Amino acid sequence: MPASGSSSGRAVWAILRKECRSEWRTRYGLNAALLFAVTSLASTSFAVGRMSDRPDVLAALLWVVLLFAALASLAHTFVRETEGHTMVLMRLVASPTAIAMGKLIFNLLFLVSIELVTLPLFLAFMGAPPPRWGALLAILALANVALAAAATLVAAVIAQTRGRGALFAGVSFPVLLPVLAAAVSGTRAQWSGAPVGAELRLLAAYAVALLAASLLLYDHLWEDA
Amino acid sequence: MSGNLVVMAVALLVWGLLFWYLIRLERRVADLEKR
Amino acid sequence: MIGRALLLLWIAAWIVAAFVWAPLVPVLGETTRVLYFHIPAAWVTVLALGWSMIHSLLYLKRRNLEHDHQAAAAAEIGLMFCVVATVSGALWAKAMWGAYWNWDPRETSIFFLLLIYAAYLALRSAIDQPERRARLAAVYSAIAFVSVPFLIFVVPRIYFSLHPDPIINPRGKVDMDPRIRVVFFALLLGFTGLYFWVQSLRVRVARVEHRMEERRGSGNVG
Repeated sequence: MPASGSSSGRAVWAILRKECRSEWRTRYGLNAALLFAVTSLASTSFAVGRMSDRPDVLAALLWVVLLFAALASLAHTFVRETEGHTMVLMRLVASPTAIAMGKLIFNLLFLVSIELVTLPLFLAFMGAPPPRWGALLAILALANVALAAAATLVAAVIAQTRGRGALFAGVSFPVLLPVLAAAVSGTRAQWSGAPVGAELRLLAAYAVALLAASLLLYDHLWEDA
Repeated sequence: MSGNLVVMAVALLVWGLLFWYLIRLERRVADLEKR
Repeated sequence: MIGRALLLLWIAAWIVAAFVWAPLVPVLGETTRVLYFHIPAAWVTVLALGWSMIHSLLYLKRRNLEHDHQAAAAAEIGLMFCVVATVSGALWAKAMWGAYWNWDPRETSIFFLLLIYAAYLALRSAIDQPERRARLAAVYSAIAFVSVPFLIFVVPRIYFSLHPDPIINPRGKVDMDPRIRVVFFALLLGFTGLYFWVQSLRVRVARVEHRMEERRGSGNVG
């Protein structure tokens, strides 16, 4: 079983490439997530209309849409392994942490892909004022890292249970809540002209804490595989 | 003043019931442990 | 036996004292009494959570199922006290400020704890094997352990506060009439004693259940 520095790095990269390739083969997860995001965005826009003068509502709606898309799709990286019974094979070539890190980076890329589509559509549909791009992108970047870290960790837990999507959403929600709160607050602030430093620091700290916990916890997750 | 005492009586009643329930539970557990 | 009787009398006596001996807090009026139950319930909620998390971490370290029994029991009991704290808090808020729920920092925090408890117990209910359940639940507990401090610090900075902080601050100093303080701390102690009693009962039940599961399992070997 490998564990040393460079081979772990290579393992992570290998896992990441494998995830990307599996996903690209069917694109099922990506399609479903995009469809879900656009659908919730459309419903929101249809129900609420344009919100040009309400940065607080806009911020909340944006993150609800993104969060829902994340909850609907981020669990499937581990579910795929459980259903395909490929976890044992992966454990033969990489440490639990390396596997998890590979999937985490994949989830991160996944989130970014969804946001690349959803964010512009959101801004257009909801009549949002032009954002302070530096602040908004920083918030998105840090929130994505925190979301990916939290979701990957929880997904790894859920994959070994009888539960599926609903359980993942319910169990991950408390862990994702700090991200949601800070992201909504920061997004609102960047539209209102307020500073976003506090929110960015919070997101960064949370992301770091989650990553640190991940490094300690993944080894405990697959004892009996 | 008396409304106050009614609430107090209810609180005492609730506590009494809870206590009684817990004592019964403890007896049953002790019994199970012996078997 | 004496301990149980003592607990019964202690709490009963101080309930009486809360209603006939301690004065009212001027700002709170008749609703003052709620604080003697609401805040200790919230305190036990946090205590139980801490107990559960510590035992979860101990389980990961030592793999002794006894720690899992403790963690699971604490979560169930903590949930009950959390519901009591949340409901009593909502009723109090309605009486004081006219609205059951306002997402002020304390209300949000207690709601968050409710979610954590519920998620933990939901997770446990989705796993059948005792060792796997213990391990996964413990990992989730560790994850939640990371989240909790963030929510306690995120929330106050983001939302406004309706809580009567100048009068009562459960986390720190208690700035009130000496009689109120006495009754409050006495009931705080009483609730703590009650918690540990119920906790020990629940753990004993878990041990018995586990023993029965083992017996049933070994009887089926064929």
